[in-house]
Amino acid sequence: MIYKMLPLIEGQQQIYARIDDDGLCRLTCEADYPEFKAWLEEGNTPEPADTPE
Amino acid sequence: MPLSKIDEAGLASSAQFTGFKNRIINGAMMIDQRNAGASISDITGVGAYPVDRFNFRVPAAIGGTFSVQRVADAPAGFVYSAKLTVTAAATVGSTNRSGIAQGIEGLNLADLAYGTASASSVTLSFWVKSSIAGTYCCALRNDTITGIATISYVANYTVSQANTWEYKTITIPGYTAGTISTDNSLGLGVCWDIGSGTSYDTTPNVWSASDKMGTAGAVSIIETTGATFQITGVQLEKGNTATSFDYRPYGTELALCQRYYYRVAAQIAGDYTIATSALAISTTQAFVMTNFPVQMRTRPTALEQNGTASDYVVVRAGSATFNACSSVPTFSQAGLMSAMSIFTVASGLTNGSAGYVYGNTTAAYLGWSAEL
Repeated sequence: MIYKMLPLIEGQQQIYARIDDDGLCRLTCEADYPEFKAWLEEGNTPEPADTPE
Repeated sequence: MPLSKIDEAGLASSAQFTGFKNRIINGAMMIDQRNAGASISDITGVGAYPVDRFNFRVPAAIGGTFSVQRVADAPAGFVYSAKLTVTAAATVGSTNRSGIAQGIEGLNLADLAYGTASASSVTLSFWVKSSIAGTYCCALRNDTITGIATISYVANYTVSQANTWEYKTITIPGYTAGTISTDNSLGLGVCWDIGSGTSYDTTPNVWSASDKMGTAGAVSIIETTGATFQITGVQLEKGNTATSFDYRPYGTELALCQRYYYRVAAQIAGDYTIATSALAISTTQAFVMTNFPVQMRTRPTALEQNGTASDYVVVRAGSATFNACSSVPTFSQAGLMSAMSIFTVASGLTNGSAGYVYGNTTAAYLGWSAEL
């Protein structure tokens, strides 16, 4: 499981997508989401957002 | 009959006349918003909720495989229980903790007056059925399973016969030496030890200003392949006596659960229930507002959905065009009473136009958590 940044929408906060081991995203969150914060505290870093085409 | 003839003392002491005495929510395991009775195989990490408000959790490091599920197997007076099945045994290390827990919000415990000389006793009662007879542990702590509790009370209970429903009651004296949260954060966690290491063992039946879960020699159910463990009829009430179970109306119990988790799911394909309305902010994205049925305990910070984009559809008002989403709905923001999500389609929306969204299959849902 990893987290990945979503492209920023103007005027909105940064949102992160949790990508499960099967490649599906079943959860998106803001930076205050406790499980995301715990994942960061384990030394992980979210992947950057895809570049808009 | 004159009012003066009513036996007030009798009313106060009779369990049949006291409602909302149970501090446990969903103690009869009736509400299962997340799974509707389906089995869950991953209880590692943050754990899983086979029924609302009851978290089953083991650390990934102990290995083993498990399933948890709400099942229609219960003692008389109940319909469901929450069941753990050990499909492959774990190996519990000294610093591992595994358990079943419900966190109780401090706002619902303020009257216990912990930290004062008049701290109230509470009585925990529940039905248990295990495939292994022996001594088990449960605990009252100011945390649930993975956090670090600063006060703990561990009690033993005995499963006398394997695979048989048995009723257990444990009275826990009030804690006078320290306070617990009395706001919307976690006040106390009721925990059933299913396999914890010796670092968390303590002397039973005394309050300890430390992080404890079990006692030496208790059954570690998760270390036996094929073992099963079920609970239901869970009640925590003020006082020294276990009284009859506090059956609450289904709708009331559901609303109590929805303060901690809310899921809106498509009931039939094409059902419009997953959100009320949408406002396009571009040709490809729309804001979607969902109102919560009750005020959440705290502001949700994430959105759950089923992971399949095409299960969600956006319709532009005045258009007969049904646009299946090109990516899954994502979190935007949330408050205590509502949440905003973003639905994305490949094309077909008009910036500023209204519309609506719905589930394109029965698998579609949106979920928000404010669990403890």
